[in-house]
Amino acid sequence: MSPRTRHSLELVLDNLVWFMLVFVLAVFSIFIPNFAQLGIFANIIEASSVLGVMSIGLALVIIAGHMDLSVESVAALSAMAVGIMFCSSGIGLGLQLHPDWLMVPVSLAIALAVGAVIGVINGFLIVRLKMSAFIITLASYIWVRGLVLVVSGGRSAQDLAPAIRWFGIQRLTGLPLTAWIAIGCFGAFSLILAKTPFGRHLVMIGGNETATFRAGIRVNRNLIIAFVLAGAIAGLAGWLLAIRTSGATANLGVGLLFNAFAAVVIGGVSLKGGVGTLPGVYAGVLLLSAINTAINLMGLPANFTQVIHGLLVLAAVLLDAFKQTIRQKLA
Amino acid sequence: MSEPLLVLDNVTKNYGAIQALRGISFSIGRGEVVALLGDNGAGKSTLVKIIAGGLEPTSGRMLFEGKEFLARSPAEAKAAGIETVYQDLSLCTNVDVVANFFMGREITRKVLGVPVLDERAMEAVVGKALANAGTRIPSLRTKVEHLSGGQRQAIELNRFVHWGGKLVLLDEPFAALGVEQTRRGLDMIRQVASQGIGVVIITHIMQQAFQVADRIVVIRQGVVAGDVARNKTSPDAVINMITGETLAGAGPAGREQ
Repeated sequence: MSPRTRHSLELVLDNLVWFMLVFVLAVFSIFIPNFAQLGIFANIIEASSVLGVMSIGLALVIIAGHMDLSVESVAALSAMAVGIMFCSSGIGLGLQLHPDWLMVPVSLAIALAVGAVIGVINGFLIVRLKMSAFIITLASYIWVRGLVLVVSGGRSAQDLAPAIRWFGIQRLTGLPLTAWIAIGCFGAFSLILAKTPFGRHLVMIGGNETATFRAGIRVNRNLIIAFVLAGAIAGLAGWLLAIRTSGATANLGVGLLFNAFAAVVIGGVSLKGGVGTLPGVYAGVLLLSAINTAINLMGLPANFTQVIHGLLVLAAVLLDAFKQTIRQKLA
Repeated sequence: MSEPLLVLDNVTKNYGAIQALRGISFSIGRGEVVALLGDNGAGKSTLVKIIAGGLEPTSGRMLFEGKEFLARSPAEAKAAGIETVYQDLSLCTNVDVVANFFMGREITRKVLGVPVLDERAMEAVVGKALANAGTRIPSLRTKVEHLSGGQRQAIELNRFVHWGGKLVLLDEPFAALGVEQTRRGLDMIRQVASQGIGVVIITHIMQQAFQVADRIVVIRQGVVAGDVARNKTSPDAVINMITGETLAGAGPAGREQ
């Protein structure tokens, strides 16, 4: 095999999920009437912003060889915190700040801080006390959701302050600003993971934690930062969620965790750690969103979505194994 | 010899009630190659981990370059100039050769104040280092998981030769190497020592110890059972020290015999 073909083959393998996305979009465009229009594509991107942002944090800790099941509940708690403070009806306190735009950075800071605090708790328990990430974050998944119920009393907050809502309404080249935030996050964190020492260390920790420790990399510090980032990014997802729904309900975002997992796995991230890229995860998110949109357009009952998502995850895992065998032959 | 590079003074290590090291004392000079021999479970790997910062000793002290020394983490040991090659390989197989070579010491350049990996500079360094050592790897961008055991070990060896430092610890470095690669590895060790770097090599193979070492230190049941210059002993005598049939050889041994 010439180096050239080998190179292009590796390129295809590395970006397989993007080819799948293009293929799926092409098939939908041909067979589903009214699918092939800019508005639909914009809608696919728009609908995936919350899930996309959440998947970034989840992908970071999984690539570092751990797990964060709490991201969904953390997003809900952040959304609820923002909702309670800045919504004017329901349980909202209707807090007003002057000038109005000040509410944007303040609400964002609150959402990020709520997420970061839970990230610190997760990270500390897992890294310092050497407990299993699965169990610790499962506990957080439960108690943080419980906290959402406690602070809301099971009720909801509506009518988010217009200054914050603005991000969900204002459009730039056809996409709302919330979607641009998600795209910007993917861009920034893709660069961090691929191009900085911190990102490189996370990938290597996911590959062989002992080796990185012996090489003098501060493993514990890096892992705690990863969990804090996952929490804060989930907080950002919660902020976007509050904007999207113009408030917060006690069961906001239920089920997002599994979609995020699906997106991460479809995007080529190995649950064993050390393998995966964020652009791939974004493609996974868009793929899920495209399928949802197609199901809506075809008028199929929404219940089909879950079946298809499940099959897609299965297909992604099988595909991953297949890729491994091809790579083995390439080497 | 002038001031020794590293002095171990009665270093002990207990795991609960089990005494892995019962008081180890010996020293390593600059540019000296010391072969550390001993039966399985004698405490060689424990000792290496203590020097390398992977374990803390229960008692005793170490002097490195004449100063009190205790590495609480591998990072501290590295900062002091101690490089270690472990017997179970310390490579991240999920990243490429270049990333492994520079693990924890990446070359970066600032872009808008953010440190960014300088891949091209790193690849050039690795290419040169491997070429100097005569190691051939098809592509430096290949992930290590696709390389053979021998190639992986060669990367580890080249890595320590390149980074050098002041003291190198090798815990059975040739376990997966072929005859020719082992010979080259032994040459590398001599070459490193000739630069004034102290080398401690753990091995099971008597022949290797006699080929490369200036001094042979035998550990048995957690104490130094023999500490002799290579040219003043023979393989048979060393084997006797390892198995404990005789207490031949001088050295601060036999504290609890």
